Amino acid sequence: MTVAAFSPEWAQAFKDEINRSAAYRDAAKGWKWSVGLVVEPEPDRNFPEGAGVIMDLQEGEARDIRVGSPAEAQACDFVITGTYTRWKEVATKQLDATRGMLQGKLKLKGDLPTVVRFTKASQEMTECTTRVPVTWPDEG
Amino acid sequence: MHDAGAGDLAGRGVSSQVEYADGEDASAFAQMLGGLIEANVVSRSEKLRDFNRLNARVGVFVTDIGEGVTLEFDRGHLVVRNGLEGRRDVTIRADSDTVMQLSNVRIGFAGMPNYLDANGRRVMGRMLKGQLKIEGLVGNLTTLNQVTRLFSVAE
Repeated sequence: MTVAAFSPEWAQAFKDEINRSAAYRDAAKGWKWSVGLVVEPEPDRNFPEGAGVIMDLQEGEARDIRVGSPAEAQACDFVITGTYTRWKEVATKQLDATRGMLQGKLKLKGDLPTVVRFTKASQEMTECTTRVPVTWPDEG
Repeated sequence: MHDAGAGDLAGRGVSSQVEYADGEDASAFAQMLGGLIEANVVSRSEKLRDFNRLNARVGVFVTDIGEGVTLEFDRGHLVVRNGLEGRRDVTIRADSDTVMQLSNVRIGFAGMPNYLDANGRRVMGRMLKGQLKIEGLVGNLTTLNQVTRLFSVAE
């Protein structure tokens, strides 16, 4: 069953995928910070409002993932910002998140050594995103 | 509580220790590498010692994004430039994933990078496969070890 991108159902499915992932659980041991994903609006892609994804991640477990405002996501310890198109590219494996950050396609705010230390966890989390079947607002 | 500002890529300009030759036009990769080194130097005294001793021109080229930077270390000061400039002592060429793995190499006995643990072996494996190339290694092993220690975020 597909879920609408950046909907509460998507957030729940994303959380379930993370908590099913043994690879993420192993790679994220020691992680104890909140992560916010800011999805910038793109009206011409039928995504006019923007969104925030607020993730409470602790020691390899997703305790809570919810969709809120961009401002709520920006208040997290670590914040990754990108346009709707960029996040769609990440979720459909067209853009590697690490590569995206090095290219400035995704902007990172937070302690860099910590982020680099948990690169593997970040990659596993991206894998979890790609396993959620999504209906995109600019398709169909 | 961590210092969230230490890695803020937005609006980074000149700090006392790290300068961006291209200013506001510094590439995201340049800002990330400079920010990583700066955060390491600020938080770890052993890295500050390396930073204060290092006098070398180091290039890092990320093959899968086709971007490079030149790091000009001058004993306690670093200038980060977009692109690969001439007269480099050491140049590291690798894909983005390998660059991240290189930053996770643990520092072991006597301050030597540990290439024997799982991550170290992965890095060595990539070198053997040609996915990680280091130019200028001969005669600059000490420089490479210092740079590896400055990059390393492993605890």
